[in-house]
Amino acid sequence: MANYLAQFQAIKNTSDRLVVAVEDVSDLWPSVKEGLEKRLPLKKASLNNKTRNPVYVENLQAEFILTTDSRLRSRFPQEQYLFWFREPYATIVLVSCEDLDEFKTILKPRLKLIVQNEEREWFIVFVSKAHPNNDQATKNAKKVYARLEVDFNTRKRERCCKLDLNGVDASFWEDFDFKIVESIRNTLDRRAQFYEEEIRKMSEQRLMPVWNFCNFFILKESLAFMFEMAHLHEDSLREYDELELCYIETVSTPGKQRDFGGLEHGDDQAALLKPGFKPLSQIVQDDSFREFEFRQYLFARQVKLLFRLGRPLEVVMRGYSFIISFSKTLALHENTLPFCLREVWVISACLAIISSTSSTYDGLAAPDNEKEFYRLHGDLYSLCRIKFMRLAYLIGYGVEIEKSPVNSASLSMLPWPKPSIWPAVPEDASAKVLAKEKLILQANPRMKHFNIQRKQLPLEPSSLLREANRRRASLSVGNLSELIDYRQIDGSGIDGHQKFSPSTTNSMSRTYSGPNLESSLSLDRPMRISEVHVAAEHALENTVTDPDLLKSLSSLEEFEQKYMELTKGAADNYHHSWWKRHGVALDGEIAALCFKHGNYDLAAKSYEKVCALYAGEGWQDLLAEVLPNLAECQKILNDQAGYLSSCVRLLSLEDGLFLAKERQAFQLEVVRLAHSEMKHPVPLDVSSLITFSGNPGPPLQLCDGDPGTLPVTVWSGFPDDITLESLSLTLTNTLNTDEGVKTIKSSDAHILKPGRNVIKLDVPPQKPGSYVLGVLTGQIGNLRFRSHNFSKGGPQDNDDFMSYEKPTRPVLKVLKPRTLVDISAAVSSALLMNELQWLGLIVKPIDYSLKGSLLSIDTGPGLMIDESHTIDINEYAKTMEDKVHAHDSNTITENNTHPLEPKQLYIENGKIALPDWASDTSTTLWFPVHAIDDRMARAASADSPHRQNMVDGMRTIALKLEFGAFRNQIFERTIAVHFTDPFYVTTRVANKCNDGTLLLQATIHSQVKATLCLYDAWLDLQAGFVHVRKENGRPVSSFFPLVISPSSTAGILFSICIDNMAIADQNEVVQAESILNVMYGISGDRSNGAHSPTSLKLGSSDKLFFKVAIALQRPILDPCIAVGFVPFSSNCLRVGQLINMKWRVERLKDLEASPSSSCKDEVLYEVDANPEIWMIAGRTMGHALLSNARGSRTEITVTCMPLVSGHVRPPQLGLPAMDDANISCNPPGPHLVCVLPPTLSSSYCIPA
Amino acid sequence: MAGTACFIIVSKNDIPIYEAEVGSAAKKEEASQQHQFILHAALDIVEDLAWTTNAMFLKAVDKFNDLSVSVYVTAGHTRFMLLHDSRNEDGIKSFFQEVQELYIKILLNPLYLPSARIASSHFDTKVRALARKYL
Repeated sequence: MANYLAQFQAIKNTSDRLVVAVEDVSDLWPSVKEGLEKRLPLKKASLNNKTRNPVYVENLQAEFILTTDSRLRSRFPQEQYLFWFREPYATIVLVSCEDLDEFKTILKPRLKLIVQNEEREWFIVFVSKAHPNNDQATKNAKKVYARLEVDFNTRKRERCCKLDLNGVDASFWEDFDFKIVESIRNTLDRRAQFYEEEIRKMSEQRLMPVWNFCNFFILKESLAFMFEMAHLHEDSLREYDELELCYIETVSTPGKQRDFGGLEHGDDQAALLKPGFKPLSQIVQDDSFREFEFRQYLFARQVKLLFRLGRPLEVVMRGYSFIISFSKTLALHENTLPFCLREVWVISACLAIISSTSSTYDGLAAPDNEKEFYRLHGDLYSLCRIKFMRLAYLIGYGVEIEKSPVNSASLSMLPWPKPSIWPAVPEDASAKVLAKEKLILQANPRMKHFNIQRKQLPLEPSSLLREANRRRASLSVGNLSELIDYRQIDGSGIDGHQKFSPSTTNSMSRTYSGPNLESSLSLDRPMRISEVHVAAEHALENTVTDPDLLKSLSSLEEFEQKYMELTKGAADNYHHSWWKRHGVALDGEIAALCFKHGNYDLAAKSYEKVCALYAGEGWQDLLAEVLPNLAECQKILNDQAGYLSSCVRLLSLEDGLFLAKERQAFQLEVVRLAHSEMKHPVPLDVSSLITFSGNPGPPLQLCDGDPGTLPVTVWSGFPDDITLESLSLTLTNTLNTDEGVKTIKSSDAHILKPGRNVIKLDVPPQKPGSYVLGVLTGQIGNLRFRSHNFSKGGPQDNDDFMSYEKPTRPVLKVLKPRTLVDISAAVSSALLMNELQWLGLIVKPIDYSLKGSLLSIDTGPGLMIDESHTIDINEYAKTMEDKVHAHDSNTITENNTHPLEPKQLYIENGKIALPDWASDTSTTLWFPVHAIDDRMARAASADSPHRQNMVDGMRTIALKLEFGAFRNQIFERTIAVHFTDPFYVTTRVANKCNDGTLLLQATIHSQVKATLCLYDAWLDLQAGFVHVRKENGRPVSSFFPLVISPSSTAGILFSICIDNMAIADQNEVVQAESILNVMYGISGDRSNGAHSPTSLKLGSSDKLFFKVAIALQRPILDPCIAVGFVPFSSNCLRVGQLINMKWRVERLKDLEASPSSSCKDEVLYEVDANPEIWMIAGRTMGHALLSNARGSRTEITVTCMPLVSGHVRPPQLGLPAMDDANISCNPPGPHLVCVLPPTLSSSYCIPA
Repeated sequence: MAGTACFIIVSKNDIPIYEAEVGSAAKKEEASQQHQFILHAALDIVEDLAWTTNAMFLKAVDKFNDLSVSVYVTAGHTRFMLLHDSRNEDGIKSFFQEVQELYIKILLNPLYLPSARIASSHFDTKVRALARKYL
């Protein structure tokens, strides 16, 4: 059966559509051909798939072939049976007859003969040539057709249809299509069933010796091919899948040694998309096929179907896994295959899949599929790239390949090709060897920037040199061990060569001196690396047939171009598939190549992408690999900003990633640039390198308006000390963001040590609020830098780590304005007027230091400070304590005086500097002051006790305290101090004796909080009064000293009488008032109030002198006029009520003629009223008629209105022209009237 | 015990927070970097896979020649990634589960900020002990 393979192949190639046979009984084909072929391809066909489920197929291709055609006639029955899929799927019998008899006798038997073959699916098309107008002919045709139907239709199936050549009915074509499809479907079902049955039978023999895979393949593929013709691609694909499985099973059965294939010319190019690459008959081997070609053939068939099905994604998916699995298979047979065929095949396969799918991919797939598609493309590119690099490495371009992690990881874990014998150096290759040698020597391994010392990553799984030599059959064991020794010393293949070559210089010159020697030597001597490359290149040239690939490997430039193309393809596709990490790693490779070619711009861009990803995800090991490259690009491009930031990022990487020396090199670069002239100075972000935080512990607290010093911890990530020209920090108010940020500056240059530094910054007075650190800015040379980062905390054990996540921890709190100090008077009671007194001030700091504070004192009028005295200062608390101790007599008061406490202060220019010891405690300052009051104290009458006005004794003292660190805080206060006379005196006439002696009682009220002691008192009387018995005016001396306790009173009686004699001496200058002289002493404490004046020394005469004027009024002995206050008409006065005040004035005796008075018959009057109490309507002063005759009387009326309610003094009527002594008043003294509040007015409330 | 294995914990924002070279093979400088590179690239695959399954243990997600990458994704999307050459899947699973317990203990520490580097030497010792036990 395998012999039929070639034929099978030919049949497959020729037949690509279903065949419908046409049995032209009545020679009608030429006339209906056109109409019938118009129906093809069949628009819509309902077919059954392999599982007998209906499938709708569109545009089903088919072909009408006459049964008389040679294609159908010439087949042998066995052939027909074998290749059944190409046999007609339906048979159309074309019939025409107009005569019923003719039909019965001739046509019917013939038709019966035709349709008796059961295997055929047939139907009859009756063609009526009758013209529609020809009724007879039409009738006949109908009759014949009716007969035909009767004869050939069955109940189950109608097999006839009628075609009118003149005027075709549309329903006919539908019927026709239906019948064709029905026939095809039935045939298909039957044949599929047949094939399946055959295949099943054959499968049962799988494990028997008669099993022949070729036969099975023909059956299986026939079925698949049939499905494909019927557009049932899905089923067809399944058949191929099963075929593949079965094949792999067959191949993998042990026992039979089979040829693998792949040895022919052109086999290195994958035939994944070319099913007809090799005829199957060529690859047949015994009862099966050669694996190399056949598996590719199967895959190509599958791919073809997948493309038909419109599934490029699946093509890529299957393609990738096929390449991987097939590559493994190739590896198994590597020792029989040409050198590196596996790598070359993978390259071509990947590229073929990529190119075929990317052109058919429309990009309208679901996002997930699209991602998958691009990812697989990326994988294919990447695989292709690795294999390509491996080839390039073998032929000596390895020195130019970047030794990056990607390349290293890909190549160093990929085993070398394992040919049975490593290719030998071709003859006459000395020139090539030299060229390779040159290439290796010239290629200086790319130095890492900043002199970074790294062991280069390997690109080879094991030394190529050793591997190549080991696989050479001729190499002796001794040489091998020698080589291994070399390897162990050298470390890598390329380096190994360099050490190796000097030792063999001599032999080399000998080697190439003559061709005869070469062959003999090459057998004994291990190959050198350049020779290995040349040999590999030579072998590859034999393997590779693809001119493109050959070209790509022909020179370094071509290699790099291809390498770039593949890398870009992989990177782009990975990026499309969102596999950014894969994509970015390849971007790094692109960048490396760009860098090598001097495209620093592109290189920098790509490196930036890579760095951004690694930095963003924090993979510092990987970043450390790439970042120096980026920095180098930026340096070359003169991108100073970028370069600086790269250097900073390099410095801020973990410590272990770079050596100290390298880190110092980074710092040197930064410093060098910082001090150079930069064209466009940009602020540098050093957040990762210089971090800062406030000091641990509570924030610094400042009072409003105070400057301060803020200590800040700055961590420097620089490996060495670095000098900062300036440093400043911003503070942000967390409570009030409107204010913006405040900048505080450090005054001087700093040198930051590596690690922790504490820097003190001066804080000018800030507004109240809580402040957090904002941004650190500073300058290194000409370079401004800024850092936003809070300290991550240097050492591990630092708890400050928490502040990294919580940067809002305030470092500074400026308190709201509050009183920081209070100054008040120590004593609230009155001091002595006109005497030197201690004035006490309590200076009380409220949680604030008064260090260095200055108190200015400005006294008000009537008060002066006695500057000749020192000022006492003592602790306020102690004063209080002393008092307590004083009460408790048993307690021994300790000597609390601080040895350093100066107790005496001096006032200079009205200012006092407070001592330091007093800065935190409340102190009392005692000033000697002198209040001056020139007025003499006056005694008051006991009837109208008129107390001394408090305001008279009030003195003010303005204080200004400048304090705070810079005397920036000012406290100002004016304190009122009350001064008073020691006592006030009231007098009254206690008794009028019959002998004219008046007992004058002087009551002395103590006004101070101190014990007064009267030593003496005498009365200097005014004219008109004399002491009884002409005494000196002293009371009985044994009364004295008289002690008056605080706020108590004492009385002294003086007996006086009126001196009638003195009246005569009117012209003498007489004393207008009596004066009471008091000599007294005072014993008081200054902390309580009045005390003995400072000037008096203890023990000396501590007697003070005090004078009080006493007004004595002589009784009215000679009344001329009587004034009487007329009671009010109404009982009560009300505020706002007008009343008439009336006084009756009566002349008691005739007025003697006086020249001074011009008008004798009138009297001058004046009404005196307190304007705050009374409103007077009309004149307050005037003349009232009053005749000089005795007994004449008049009434003076004044209308007035009280303004306030209560008991008030009514207006007084005075007669200024008269001597008081001549007026007798009734009532005689001052009196009060009652004024009621106004009546409630409701006038506005009553509706009019 | 595997010849070579690299264990790494990647936080949910892709930052490696713990790294350990476990395995009996002598640590090579270049190898550790390659391991990091391979694991980093495998994150791409983990991202795709993690959302397709309910299981925490994703088994071997990536193969790099003879090395495989096994991944375990915690509920908080922290990824434990192990680069190994052993085939002992059960052992790896147990290893991951026990490491997760340790990791949870680390998380419970109020002074540990999630996604910060794990610097606990105790954790390190325990992980290495687990690696010896299971891998």
